[in-house]
Amino acid sequence: MDKGAASMYKILIVEDDPKIADLLKAHIEKYGDTAIVIHEFDRVLEQFQLHSPHVVLLDINLPSFDGYYWCRQIRQVSTCPIIFISARDGKMDQVMALENGADDFITKPFYYEIVMAKIHSQLRRVYGDYAAKNEERTVEQGGLILYPERMELHFGERNVPLSKKETILMETLMERSPRVASREDILEKLWDDAFVDDNTLSVNITRVRKRLAELGLGEALETVRGLGYRLNINAKEPKK
Amino acid sequence: MKLFIREHLPLMIFTLVQLLAVLAVFWFDGYDHPLTALYALFLGLFVFAGYLGLRYATHRGFYARLSRPVASLAESVHKHEPAPLPAALSDLMENQYRQYQNMLQHWERKNEQYMTFLNQWIHQMKTPLSVIEMITQDGGDERMGSISEETDRLRRGLDMALYAARLDTFEQDFSVDNADLKQLVNEAVHEYKRYFIRSHVYPEVLIEEGISVRTDAKWMRFILGQLLNNAIKYSAGSGKKVTISASWEHRDVILEIRDRGVGIPKEDLPRVFRPFYTGANGRRFKESTGMGLYIVKEVIVKLNHRIELESAEGEGTLVRIRFG
Repeated sequence: MDKGAASMYKILIVEDDPKIADLLKAHIEKYGDTAIVIHEFDRVLEQFQLHSPHVVLLDINLPSFDGYYWCRQIRQVSTCPIIFISARDGKMDQVMALENGADDFITKPFYYEIVMAKIHSQLRRVYGDYAAKNEERTVEQGGLILYPERMELHFGERNVPLSKKETILMETLMERSPRVASREDILEKLWDDAFVDDNTLSVNITRVRKRLAELGLGEALETVRGLGYRLNINAKEPKK
Repeated sequence: MKLFIREHLPLMIFTLVQLLAVLAVFWFDGYDHPLTALYALFLGLFVFAGYLGLRYATHRGFYARLSRPVASLAESVHKHEPAPLPAALSDLMENQYRQYQNMLQHWERKNEQYMTFLNQWIHQMKTPLSVIEMITQDGGDERMGSISEETDRLRRGLDMALYAARLDTFEQDFSVDNADLKQLVNEAVHEYKRYFIRSHVYPEVLIEEGISVRTDAKWMRFILGQLLNNAIKYSAGSGKKVTISASWEHRDVILEIRDRGVGIPKEDLPRVFRPFYTGANGRRFKESTGMGLYIVKEVIVKLNHRIELESAEGEGTLVRIRFG
């Protein structure tokens, strides 16, 4: 299978709920990949062959034929990774899916992060393509650049190292900016690393403020009482 | 045998009285051959005993059946009886059995249909729920957060309904395997992540790596979820910790979930595992069906684990699960 532009993958979404399909598509495209939503559920195989995607997201309950059927059909022509997405969470459903040739299974309701992580793990596994995805991920906001993997924050010429928690915190703040990142949002992200409480959050906010001050952005992180924190750097210019 | 004797006691007395009456009539009439009279008496008794013997032989099964408690409905259908009375009873019982069976099957079918409907309905409700969750995951404003909090509640409610419905078919739906306790607990905590954070309650997991327990992971995750749900609900807003710890006692693994919330009033404690029992806290905290702990207990028993609950009002609650 050929890839288009570097790190552009095609993901085929076979989901009969149009809203879920569109929301998934929007989220996948936010990460720079292409998503194709299928509307003709009696011609899934043709659509598959037409688009030759890198990954297929497949619902079990579909009009006319079910997801297992299409999974078997696709398996006869391709080894493309197939991830089932279904509200059925019984052991038998998952076993059936895997036995019909699926590579993974996600149950509804799901978090975007999990869908994205599973898509990317399949991409890595099948296309072995660390290189394209290995282009270092960065988060940018008003001249401020965060390197989450290196755990470094750059602003103009200066840069400061961050701890793991500070990195997660900074990433959330930057993604939300200029909106407020709520206490809940930040804690939710931090909990993927460790279960921290409000005190630890305050301590880390203080530390991030210190790091920002080192970059000459002393006032950039505001506390919004009762809501959370807002990162506001647009007003400032990097000092050379 | 006892029933047979009791049943025939009046007949025995009646026969004896009759024989003696006949003898008395002859005696007072001037008949004075005691030996012949005695012989006639014994002959009469002998014929009577013969009758009883025959009767007992043909009805033994019948009497045995009447005096034995019915262990199962299937006993109603009996092999063919020779005598008319037992045969009539058999027919009657069999007829009754058939009718009950029909009725039962009718209700079973209805119940099955209802369960199928419930299952499908719950699964269908998950799609709109997914859509709402996906939308709220994108937007960061306060109202979205509030909506996602409510969707969380809906999802937990649906899960509870789904597991309660599955309880009846538990035997087909579980498989015991080795499961990593720490991982199991972490997964359960993550599922309740948002509820924890919004309630200002914080989990503290004190479990060593590598403790494995024999259990069904799916049901155990559900049990942990229910217990965490309670722990958070009854200590919401306190900023306190919910501690989940594991220890060894002899060769059993003990898992403890301790909250520092409102605790359970002493008079409610003996009844917390009863279905639909909500107690004083249920009245205070509204969102309580009284089913959570009941289902937990049912599942724990089926999984061959044990569960204990200690609580003091104002100090919190401790739930202990012992993996045998």
